[in-house]
Amino acid sequence: MKSLVGVGLAAVILATTVFVVGGSAEAAHVDLNVAPAGELTVGSPAETQVTLLTADGARPVAGAVLTLYREASFAGTTGEVEMGRAITDENGVAVLSYEPRAAGEHQMRVEYLPTDATEPEEATWSQSVAGTTHQLHQSTSGIQVPGLNVWILMAVLATVWTILLSVALRVIAIARDGREVDMPESVALEDVKGTA
Amino acid sequence: MEEVSVWRDRLEQTALAPITKTSVWYFVWVAALLAIIGWGLYAYSVQLRDGLVETGMRDRISWGLYITTFVFFIGISHAGTLISAILRVSQAPWRTPITRMAEFITVVALMCGALFVIIDLGRPDRLLNVIIHGRWQSPIIWDVLAITTYLTASTAYLFLPMIPDLALLRDRLAGRVSRWRIWLYSLLSVRWKGSAEQKRSMGSAITVAMILIIPIAVSVHTVVSWIFAMTLRAPWNSTIFGAFFVAGALYSGVAALIILMAILRKVYHLEEYLKVKHFIYLGYLLATFALIMIYANISEFTVTGYKLEAGEEFHFRQLFLNEYAGFFWFYALAGLVLPPLLILMPWTRNIWGIVAASVLVVAAMYVERYYIVVTGLRVPLMPYDPSSYSPSWVEISVVAAGFALFALLITLFIKIFPIIAVWEVVEEHESEELSSAAPPLVTQSAPEPAGGGNL
Repeated sequence: MKSLVGVGLAAVILATTVFVVGGSAEAAHVDLNVAPAGELTVGSPAETQVTLLTADGARPVAGAVLTLYREASFAGTTGEVEMGRAITDENGVAVLSYEPRAAGEHQMRVEYLPTDATEPEEATWSQSVAGTTHQLHQSTSGIQVPGLNVWILMAVLATVWTILLSVALRVIAIARDGREVDMPESVALEDVKGTA
Repeated sequence: MEEVSVWRDRLEQTALAPITKTSVWYFVWVAALLAIIGWGLYAYSVQLRDGLVETGMRDRISWGLYITTFVFFIGISHAGTLISAILRVSQAPWRTPITRMAEFITVVALMCGALFVIIDLGRPDRLLNVIIHGRWQSPIIWDVLAITTYLTASTAYLFLPMIPDLALLRDRLAGRVSRWRIWLYSLLSVRWKGSAEQKRSMGSAITVAMILIIPIAVSVHTVVSWIFAMTLRAPWNSTIFGAFFVAGALYSGVAALIILMAILRKVYHLEEYLKVKHFIYLGYLLATFALIMIYANISEFTVTGYKLEAGEEFHFRQLFLNEYAGFFWFYALAGLVLPPLLILMPWTRNIWGIVAASVLVVAAMYVERYYIVVTGLRVPLMPYDPSSYSPSWVEISVVAAGFALFALLITLFIKIFPIIAVWEVVEEHESEELSSAAPPLVTQSAPEPAGGGNL
């Protein structure tokens, strides 16, 4: 009995290893073979080639829609993000483009839903992405006028606050003059009346 | 002619009365305001606990009563700038009894207005993101910078002309009020003795501040308008939004000042200093701004309505005919048409008529900000049914607390600081005395209002 359980367990482990390493999905109708791109770099587009064959591997499946997903987290939510779709050609080959935007290990999945099936055929693999995560999108809209930029705003702001500082210095001057003036404690209205 | 010294004594007594005398009604008033603020704090605690889902705001209409109130308070903060700085620059002598009140309104309204931005964030700790992740290119950052600068400059501008009056309080109230107050007056009066050097420094500081504060104030409400105008929403696509908002701010600011003047005049018996002519002159300013606002509205709606680009037709229907027609027509009639009529018709050109016009203006301008904010976001960006917004009890409670806080801060300011710029009123009085004694070649006193002006 023990040996039977051991053999069964070994079979499961072996099957899982083959599935993960090979990156392919054996299904009742089709065979989904993935050729992942090599080492990816943040911001560099890469292509993943997927071949879709009939289950016996004899004939390519043309015109099938394949969808590429990636595991991702955003604003505290984790889930799959659709990265793109492609249609297989007459050789059953579809090329899915993917531009990684963050470094690290990316969990990828490609999915094919046959028309007469309820469960999709899928293949998963891990993709390593090198580089550093940074802002990739650079807006090209707008007109760049030389000299007209945020430095003007900073200069205006600095000028205003410098003037405000000069006002504060005048208040300090009032206090300093008050220390030097020897006058009675009681200040009559005639004295407090300013000439501002 | 009345003895000058007797007149001065009476002025001092009147100016110091709110500080030295406290009636039972004062405590009742403060308690009522604190109760409203307490309820508002409870409502805010509910919002903090459960999130912005407690408000009527959702993903499509994501601004509502809070941003309306923010824009409104920033608007009425322009009262101080206009009355005090512009009239000081133009050397209008009749301004002196009202400048301090106007400056109070500015500082307090800015404080309350800024609070509503933080309240609208939902999580106040996210305010730090503006500092940590802020971008110079963002109108939000411009707004933060403009308001911070304006609050600093307004506080300085409130403080500078108050220095001689603080010295007066320091010397006159010794032994009559608590020690901490005397300590406060001593500290804030910065050893004012009225020497020639001190007068020169103060005069120079006031001059610099009054010139500086006018463009800052204009920039503040311009930038507030840009937060709307630089967002891709059809009803906010306007090049005159900046000027429109500044005019609206001055309009509601003058109205708020007239209301405060009327209340303080009644409560603290300031009839001798806040005369009918002050209300009428401010009423004329109000009527002028009403005409500017009418012009701006006609210009805005005619141009956008003639072209009627995508989204505008929906906006025009919701504003003039459907869901928000009540708000718009109230604003148009009660806010733009009635006030100038009340001011310009001789039989309503009195304190009551001008105060009634001011109340209408303040109410209408709040309504205007409300429909600008909400209808702008309500226009669908894609072919889906338009969303709707109505403020929840949490929003209404927090906004009520905001107004109560505004009233409380004004009340406390009046309890601690003189509401009349004593030394400036004395100067104006002496100037009038001199001009009445001198041959009638040059006079600095303001002309009597046309069309009477008696109660």
